[in-house]
Amino acid sequence: MSATPFLMLSAILFTIGAVGVLTRRNAIVVFMCVELMLNASNLALITFARVHGNLDGQVAAFFVMVVAAAEVVVGLAIIVSIFRTRRSASVDEANLLKY
Amino acid sequence: MSVIAAAAADFQAPDIDWGALAPVIAVLGAAVLGVILEALLPRRLRNVAQIGLALAALVVSLVLLSVLWAKPPVSVGTVGPAGAVGRLTQGMNLSIMVDRPALFLQASIVVVSLLAVLTMVERSRDADPFTPQGSAVPGSDFENASRQAGLVQTEVLPLLLLAVSGMMVFTAAGDLLTLFVALELLSLPLYILCGLARRRRLLSQEASLKYFLLGSFGSALFLFGAALLYGATATVNLAAMSQVLQSGAPLLVVTGVVLVLAGLLFKVGAVPFHAWTPDVYTGAPTPITGFMAAATKIAAFGALLRVLFYGLAPLQDTWQPVLVIVAVATMVVGSVVAIVQADIKRMLAYSSIAHAGFILTALVAVQEAGISSTLFYVLAYGFTTLGAFAVVALVRERDARNNITGEATHLSQWAGLGRRSPVLAGVFTLFMLAMAGIPLTSGFTAKFAVFSAAVSAGYAWLAVVGVVASAAAVFFYIRVIVLMYFSEPAADATTVVAGRPFTAAAVALGAVATILLGVVPAPVLELARTAATAPFGG
Amino acid sequence: MNLILSGTAGAAAQAGAASGVQSLTWLLVGLPLLGAFVLMVGGRRTDRWGHWLAVLLSWAAFVIGAAVFLSVLGEPASERVSVQHLFSWVPAGAFSAEAALRVDTLSLTFVLLVTFVGSLIHVYSVAYMAADPDRRRFFAYLNLFVAAMLLLVLADNYLLLYVGWEGVGLASYLLIGFWNHNPSYAAAAKKAFVANRVGDIGLALAIASMFLVFGGVDFDTVLGGAQQDGLQYQGWMTFIGLMLLLGACGKSAQVPLQSWLGDAMAGPTPVSALIHAATMVTAGVYLVVRSGAVYQAAPTAALIVVIVGALSLLFGAIVASAKDDMKKVLAGSTMSQVGYMMLAAGLGPVGYAFAIFHLVTHGFFKAGMFLGAGSVMHGMDDVVDLRRFGDLARTMRITWLTFGAGWLSIIGFPFLSGFWSKDAIIEAAFVGEGWRPWVFGSVAMLAAGLTAFYASRMFFMMFHGRKRWDTGAHPHEAPPLMTVPMIVLALGSVFLGGVLTIGGAFVNWLTPVVGEAAEEEPVLSVPVITAITLALVAIGALWAWRQYAASDVPVVQPRGSLATVAARRDLFQDDVNEAVFMRPGQYLTRSLVFADTKGVDGAVGGIAGMVAGTAGWLRKFQTGFVRSYAASMLVGVVVLLGALVVVR
Repeated sequence: MSATPFLMLSAILFTIGAVGVLTRRNAIVVFMCVELMLNASNLALITFARVHGNLDGQVAAFFVMVVAAAEVVVGLAIIVSIFRTRRSASVDEANLLKY
Repeated sequence: MSVIAAAAADFQAPDIDWGALAPVIAVLGAAVLGVILEALLPRRLRNVAQIGLALAALVVSLVLLSVLWAKPPVSVGTVGPAGAVGRLTQGMNLSIMVDRPALFLQASIVVVSLLAVLTMVERSRDADPFTPQGSAVPGSDFENASRQAGLVQTEVLPLLLLAVSGMMVFTAAGDLLTLFVALELLSLPLYILCGLARRRRLLSQEASLKYFLLGSFGSALFLFGAALLYGATATVNLAAMSQVLQSGAPLLVVTGVVLVLAGLLFKVGAVPFHAWTPDVYTGAPTPITGFMAAATKIAAFGALLRVLFYGLAPLQDTWQPVLVIVAVATMVVGSVVAIVQADIKRMLAYSSIAHAGFILTALVAVQEAGISSTLFYVLAYGFTTLGAFAVVALVRERDARNNITGEATHLSQWAGLGRRSPVLAGVFTLFMLAMAGIPLTSGFTAKFAVFSAAVSAGYAWLAVVGVVASAAAVFFYIRVIVLMYFSEPAADATTVVAGRPFTAAAVALGAVATILLGVVPAPVLELARTAATAPFGG
Repeated sequence: MNLILSGTAGAAAQAGAASGVQSLTWLLVGLPLLGAFVLMVGGRRTDRWGHWLAVLLSWAAFVIGAAVFLSVLGEPASERVSVQHLFSWVPAGAFSAEAALRVDTLSLTFVLLVTFVGSLIHVYSVAYMAADPDRRRFFAYLNLFVAAMLLLVLADNYLLLYVGWEGVGLASYLLIGFWNHNPSYAAAAKKAFVANRVGDIGLALAIASMFLVFGGVDFDTVLGGAQQDGLQYQGWMTFIGLMLLLGACGKSAQVPLQSWLGDAMAGPTPVSALIHAATMVTAGVYLVVRSGAVYQAAPTAALIVVIVGALSLLFGAIVASAKDDMKKVLAGSTMSQVGYMMLAAGLGPVGYAFAIFHLVTHGFFKAGMFLGAGSVMHGMDDVVDLRRFGDLARTMRITWLTFGAGWLSIIGFPFLSGFWSKDAIIEAAFVGEGWRPWVFGSVAMLAAGLTAFYASRMFFMMFHGRKRWDTGAHPHEAPPLMTVPMIVLALGSVFLGGVLTIGGAFVNWLTPVVGEAAEEEPVLSVPVITAITLALVAIGALWAWRQYAASDVPVVQPRGSLATVAARRDLFQDDVNEAVFMRPGQYLTRSLVFADTKGVDGAVGGIAGMVAGTAGWLRKFQTGFVRSYAASMLVGVVVLLGALVVVR
């Protein structure tokens, strides 16, 4: 089974995630898109591991998942603290620092 | 089942050289211990315990690093049995390579972190840079009550130690996966630390959010690039990768390289990945800004060195043009936009972008000169910038009832500082001159080394651009000096907080280091050169 | 340009290391320098005894100088050179200059002259400056001057000589402008300094050229090299010679850098006596004589030296003949007499020894005349106008006698010092071929007559004729501290010349340094020269007597002939300087300032504006929205990728 469909899916997911980061205003959704990007990379890693026949990619995917989980913890804490302060989770509202 | 049993029988435990990892373990272990102590100790003991633990861990780590320096460096290069230090994981390819450049960088990080800890441990009510309760909503009664009660957020130091350990691994990483993990390890605590400022909490939280979102975006880019490189070379290990890449670079590899570079350049603060730097540096608590500006740069440049000169060395022709474009853009944007800034932290942030550009010019020299000059520059810059931000932390506002409130960061509030606090103004002048690259300061020696490396690699025009950008940059450095000494102070809103012993000590150490590295740079330059001539592939 | 010439061989005598008494040579510079330092740093606390310290140190220097002289006398002629090496001063790779002092007959002559006359003047100044509250500072500067002058003449290389050169220039500036509360005095000091500076450019260029050509600047290298290979590199030798001459002109007030000497009389009279008569103005002659080997190799330059000397000779004599300020007369006289020395020095080996001889005798009689003038000023309430003196011979006996001794010496009265030295120069001027001996000899002879005229004019106007004093003037003799030095100098003016001529003692003394002169006959025989000279002297003196002693001297200055008016205006020297140098220089300065403001500042301002504009544009990208930051990152990645793909 060729790897191309998987890789294409991975690329599409990555692009969707990137575009989502650029276009969505809700901080939680933006973060979800970042997670989407990370998972796209996971998919790519696993696919390549299958292609090359060694396990490095799969091991990497595990690590990435753990790291992503830790990131979620931190990220949500930050987003929640902002939400509690401003009563809004919009990333555009946080623009006091500019120019 | 038999497959698993067979695999279990053949299981080869990795050969881990714990000695080489001892400095990292010291810091990491202290961080974990700190978190545990945080939970177990009664409130009045926590502060002293954490401070003592952090300082002890850093000092022990430094001692271990010097012991390691005396041992012969790891010999890497091709796949084969390696030397005495830093062997890890199966086979012969190392996940963490503790060679001389890594030792130098790790020691730089630890020393800089020691100074950073000094700036963070002021605990008297006005001088504490951190909020009493990170989870409290700014301006709420809960926060005021916490402040009255004199609560102190002591988890700051374990977080710092976690970040330091992440940085230490980041500079010694031998494969892309370790790089990613270390990148996240150093970034996550920093995201949190940025949001913990005592005053102007809105700005602080905004800085934290921006850093987090953009940082995770950058890490995601990095990871995808790593995945592509893995796909092209069948390995994540840098050593093996460089072997495979010698046979050419298909489009997959080029894309992967660009994405990996994007992630690393994001950490460094290079154009076009620099947009977070001004906002985050301005919003974060000043000691954290100093720490970020100094230590993160050391770590990020160390990782860049390793990835470019070691892993992607055969692809020199691919990434050199990229670096050149980025370097020019970074130097120009950093120097030029800083001219129109009115907030001193933002100005220093743009100046740190400019400095990143200067260091990038050395990276185009894929030789020993490039490595040694980069090592020296990040160390010298680390001291200077840490000292500068520590001084910024000392200049505070005074409200109508003569209470000392937040930092006075607007440039106009710095007018006439030379007359009111001559020593402080003098030291800050020293830091400004060092950043401008005036001779007899560390900045000059560093810039000279970096530009000579670029010239020796045939990129003389790049050095010229660098010198021109430095000339433009001198303006805003001198503007602060002129403001301090030759301008009349406005309404008396600024004051200097004297008697902050730890911060003052950090400032003094930074100043001494700046002068020493400028007047007698030879010992450190020798160390950097020794580090650079280690078998490193570059 | 690499070394053209090298090698140190060829010095007239081999320089040995200084030993024994000669190892004290450094004290000659050190003691007066110490005095200057103590007095300047000590400040008001040293006011009561400071001047005595200065006097003591100055005499101590003389004693050491005399001791060194005696020890050198005891050595055979070929060994009368020793060098005391102090420390390695400028070790700079290919170039090295040592701090070393050279003790040879030429430098010792100057040492003795400077310390002896200088010490006498120190003693004189104790009384002359007794009423001045800044007396201590005066003595500090005097000591500084003595130290610098001794350094100048004792230096073993041109670079160290330059240090002493600058030092005497500095001391001269400080002393001329001593009463700097008076703006015209301060301006005079400035003028002296500026004129000296122009000359110093010449000296600096000469030293640089020496390094270029010879590879070193010490005397052995330069002079030895010039002796050996000079004729092959005449162009460079001529250049060096002319540059040295420029320096000498500045220091010795020769044409064209002579305009400062008259104004320098604004300083206290002892200063004029010491610096502007006996010592500093002779530094230029020292330089030319010391560099004799260079001039030997560059006949053109030597000829220019003679011409400069001749011009200054006449210039000074003409100006002195018309001035009514007695110090300015003496200044013009100094310029003229130094012209004699320069003329002799330019003539080559035949004239070197006589130039120095006249230098020594001139030091005595000119200093004596200046001290006498100071005594008259002291007695007449600081009046300097000759027209307000007259008939002082009776009231100021000692001054009259000592000044008279100087007068007789300077006009060349038979068998006094001046007679021996000046006539020797005139004879040497008549040696040679073609037009030169006739022209130069005649000028020298004519000038002797002019000298007699102006010197006699001055003497008669001061001490004889009708009393033309101001009302309330009480001329009185000077105190012993002033008269004793005057007497000593007068004795020297009378006897020194004769003593030194016995057996050609002085000429033989100097031979190891200046070389042997070929025995040549002057174009006119010696008796004839002497006779004509004496006749001219007699005519000059008698004419002056007729004008200023026998007839009445008007107190108000009469208009005078065109020549007199011109001479009173110093032959328009200041006007020439202003027209040729000052005004064009001011135009140049103004145009440069204009170019700087409009051109350079405009360019810089334009660049700054451009940068600021770019900054304003760039900062707009930092919008504050996270999404736009992320977008810029992504765009950056795409652009970089695109660039790479395109490049491949």
